[in-house]
Amino acid sequence: MRDNHIINLIDETSFESLSDTDLETIRSHVAECESCESASAAARVASLMLKERTAEAFEPSPFFQTRVLAHLRESQTANETWGWSRIWRAAGALASSMVATVAALAVLTFVIPEAPYSSELESASARNIYSAEEVILNPSELIEEQVSDDYVLSTLYDVAEDTVK
Amino acid sequence: MELARSARAGDESAFEEIMRRYSPRVFRFASRFFRQRSLVEEAAQEVFLKAFTELDSFEGRGSMEGWLTRITTNTCLNLLRSAKRRPELTVSDLTEDETTWLDSNLGQAANERHKASERSLVAADLTGRVLQTLSPDDQLVLMLVDGEENSVKDVVKMTGWSESKVKVQAFRARRRMRQAVEKLLARKPSATAKAQR
Repeated sequence: MRDNHIINLIDETSFESLSDTDLETIRSHVAECESCESASAAARVASLMLKERTAEAFEPSPFFQTRVLAHLRESQTANETWGWSRIWRAAGALASSMVATVAALAVLTFVIPEAPYSSELESASARNIYSAEEVILNPSELIEEQVSDDYVLSTLYDVAEDTVK
Repeated sequence: MELARSARAGDESAFEEIMRRYSPRVFRFASRFFRQRSLVEEAAQEVFLKAFTELDSFEGRGSMEGWLTRITTNTCLNLLRSAKRRPELTVSDLTEDETTWLDSNLGQAANERHKASERSLVAADLTGRVLQTLSPDDQLVLMLVDGEENSVKDVVKMTGWSESKVKVQAFRARRRMRQAVEKLLARKPSATAKAQR
């Protein structure tokens, strides 16, 4: 019967740690069950193999500590160098961006000719005889110079009549 | 704790003393997982470099040995994970010595016979090759539970796994290792015949 197979029993714990009762159960079962017999033999060999493996161990070599310490110092120096190089790289990037900005401003100021629209604005402002200061400070002069509405109307009608004629 | 404090403060001789005291244990532990001295040394070196950088995390509540064992376990597991897993081991891959070892250990009286040191070497090599066909987690749990006979609670402390994970992993790993060995034995007519006798 499958329930009576001892495969689970031999996988539950190391073969060497099985109790006497478990070993007896296994022995009586494998006498009649071929598949469990091979499983049991393999479990025993596997257990032996692991024991043999743990019996062996390497000892540290005499230079092990020296090597680890050298490695530690090396990595610490590398970290410090890396830190400085990072700062240097960051400072370099900042400096070069500043230089580029100054150069761009210099080019805009001294090399590129003045834009046309700015000269138009200047000429327009030159034509305007009234500056903002004049409007605010000398309003009376402006009133005197202003042309009266009657003059404008008569001028306009005269022109219109001439055109009709 | 005093040593750890001094080492943390930058006292190199204190860290050297830590290495002197605990490196044999770290080497012994790493030897369970790697068969080449160079790999064991690499693992041990990584353990101490990690220990140095993580000295701040050692609060002194547990033992320094326990703390280092946990670092060693994780380091070995990571190295096992980064190593290429071998395909299934077949009989044709076995050396003559390994075949002889398997033959001689199938009998019931094997326990007395396998003690010879040269046989142990063969067995250790063969075990290493069989283990390499298993997953890193399987290898780790088999060595810790069955090889070193640590309790499940100890393995929980070493690995940081839950108790149920350790138990389930051990059960499955044992089964997979047994099946791997069973396949080797089944394909060896002479060994099987001896086993049946």
